[in-house]
Amino acid sequence: MCTGRVNPTMIAEAFINGADGVMVVGCHFGDCHYITGNVEGKIKVGLAARVLDFVGLHPTRVSFDQCSSAEGERFVNLVTDFDDGVRQVGPLGSGDRLPLPELKEKLLMAKTALGSQKLRWVVGKFSEFVTAGNKYGEVFTEHEMWRTLDTIVMDEVATHEILRELERNAAAVKDLAARLKLPPPHVLRYVLALQRRGLVRLEQVEGTSPRYKAVELEVDAA
Amino acid sequence: MSPPLRVTKKRGVKLAEDIRTGVFVCDCGSNIAGYLDCGEIAEYAESLPNVVFVKENLYTCSEAGINEIKDAIKDEKLNRVVVASCSPRTHEPLFRESCAEAGLNPYLFEMVNIRDQCSWVHMKQREQGNEKAKDLIRMGVAKAALLQAQEPIQSEMDPKAMIIGAGISGMTSALALANRGYQVFLVEKSREVGGLLRNLHKLAPADVDAEELLTKQKMAVTNHENIRLLTSTTISEIQGYIGHYDVTVSANGTEEKFGVGVIIIATGAKVFRPEGLFNYDGKRVITQFELEGLFRTKKFEAKNVVMIQCVGARSEERKYCSRICCMTAIKNSIAIKERDPEATVHILYRDIQAYGTENETLYQRSKQLGVRYIKYDQERPPEVQDEAVKVYHHLLGRELELVQDLVVLSTPLIAGEDNEELSKLLRVTLDENKFFLESHVKLKPLDFATDGVFLCGNAHYPATIREAISQALGAASRASIPLAKGMMTVEPIVSVLADEDACRGCGLCEALCPYGALEIVRTEKGRKVRVIPVACKGCGICAATCYVHALNINSYTDQQVEEQIRAFLSG
Repeated sequence: MCTGRVNPTMIAEAFINGADGVMVVGCHFGDCHYITGNVEGKIKVGLAARVLDFVGLHPTRVSFDQCSSAEGERFVNLVTDFDDGVRQVGPLGSGDRLPLPELKEKLLMAKTALGSQKLRWVVGKFSEFVTAGNKYGEVFTEHEMWRTLDTIVMDEVATHEILRELERNAAAVKDLAARLKLPPPHVLRYVLALQRRGLVRLEQVEGTSPRYKAVELEVDAA
Repeated sequence: MSPPLRVTKKRGVKLAEDIRTGVFVCDCGSNIAGYLDCGEIAEYAESLPNVVFVKENLYTCSEAGINEIKDAIKDEKLNRVVVASCSPRTHEPLFRESCAEAGLNPYLFEMVNIRDQCSWVHMKQREQGNEKAKDLIRMGVAKAALLQAQEPIQSEMDPKAMIIGAGISGMTSALALANRGYQVFLVEKSREVGGLLRNLHKLAPADVDAEELLTKQKMAVTNHENIRLLTSTTISEIQGYIGHYDVTVSANGTEEKFGVGVIIIATGAKVFRPEGLFNYDGKRVITQFELEGLFRTKKFEAKNVVMIQCVGARSEERKYCSRICCMTAIKNSIAIKERDPEATVHILYRDIQAYGTENETLYQRSKQLGVRYIKYDQERPPEVQDEAVKVYHHLLGRELELVQDLVVLSTPLIAGEDNEELSKLLRVTLDENKFFLESHVKLKPLDFATDGVFLCGNAHYPATIREAISQALGAASRASIPLAKGMMTVEPIVSVLADEDACRGCGLCEALCPYGALEIVRTEKGRKVRVIPVACKGCGICAATCYVHALNINSYTDQQVEEQIRAFLSG
């Protein structure tokens, strides 16, 4: 399977099921059997690594490496080094920023974020923007792209977390902010954005604070 | 001696979704069984979900082994088959075919490689090797349950070819295909056919007259009823895929469209002009290419010739070796000595490349005729003066001054300036020097990774006329395979629009597809992506990218891969 086939959600799925590390090894650039699969693979794995890191996973647990089928020794070294690194961090939930039950919750959410439109759209445009440039001919550096993606990761993860909370119970912005450890003005912005998209509605006003609730989406019978 | 081979049948077990998986564990003689405990592995396979039949074979690929698969499919009503043995590269086609012969769709077969990935790499770690084999089989069985039957994809072939470039390579390919009865469009951007051959004199090693060869081929190409020669013509657009290319060409401002099934790139290369190097002026200091011109027009009259090799090649800006310049220099030095034995020829070289018996003979002959070879160091290059060339002799350890009335620079062939544009039009790759890059150095030297496009001659890398002709005949032969088949059958492991309603026709996947296998079309439901299965290679970039998860890859679906991941981690 080409590294280009690696859907970033697959990496999250592995950690959700208890993997201690995920290593993706592709061909060297210029040697890809599928021409540009490894280029896309590196970007997708890079995205997964960032999102998972953001939700609390130790960054050592995800790696993208390159090795040709003629480089047996290199492969052994890559795997050994990766394995050593992961062993030092310990089993999932031990060296990470969150312990296991909370981490798993966050990983589920990370998988949703990795499957969501906004991140995937920007990642899909990544190689075009760093080579041919955007519609206006502006070419971005990889660094600029990753920086942009980092802010989107922050927004997306927060948005999905808020949505998840509001699916369970109606809540006021200040409660959400306390629970998610985010500044209240940020939370308000996310909630209002969700409301505009029709995903969140005002449930009731309690005292001076409005309480929001996620809109239950009708599931197609088909 | 060896333990008895294990067979297990489970009967009367209530199965989820009626999946009945058979697992065949191959001993591969002692290749696998010598290092792993195949009996134990087979026993483990019995415990896996949906597995109703397990058989350990001495050699699953032997006639006996194949018959056991076929019998089990019939007798045990297997609807999934997993073989744990060697590499799918070599044996998957065989096992698939066996399944098909027994009436099972060949794409309901899954292969697990416990030889290369377990017994070979963990020869000294029996325990871990065993455990890994079990993990891999568990994953294979899990994936097998979700496999779906597939039918091979068939598509018609437009039995015509386009050849881009009418140099010696292009003309040779065109004639080869035309003589086989295929209609050929031979597109040449300049007014004349012949390419670099037009300026050459004699061709090594047999001293064939270049003009004679050119005239002969030109006549053949021009008069052939199956060849349409389009000179002064450039290609403005190429759409489509193997079997169905729509080509738009333009000549003198008028456009023309035609369809072809295959394309051969024979665009050749350019001679590097060494402006600013070694006092190059095109008169006293010329290139080998220009020297051939002097021979042709009979204007050559120099008495003391100094040739300098590797000018503008094997350097910082052009790292590659142009390969043919050594032979050109040797050939031309012989020509000078044969005309005038009194003339002196010095060849200043870094390394001489005269591969093959005939070239080696020519090299020796030039030495016998009195051509002097002097090795120079790249760090201390020769210095061209008005009537002499100064060179530091590597072995003597001192500087020599060679009298000259003509300096000839051996310059490399460089990639044509249209290569980048053409590579984008056809979605084929270039190497770091902008030459066209073949699909595989050994297995597919004349093919591109994109089906239906082939290459030959200098477009690929500097080649002698003889090599160019061989490659051209080879490329024509490769191109004639799909042409001759008429109908193409392609592996169905390709991208599919699994959820048409979800697709918004955004084109994100279309832009990323390395093979041009996706296109956005207008349908009754709005803009949707359409997969061109014959062009798709199943790399999966589109499915990994699609933000509405509308695309999937047959036999490598998100669900199947995630099921494998879960199966692995459940062990």
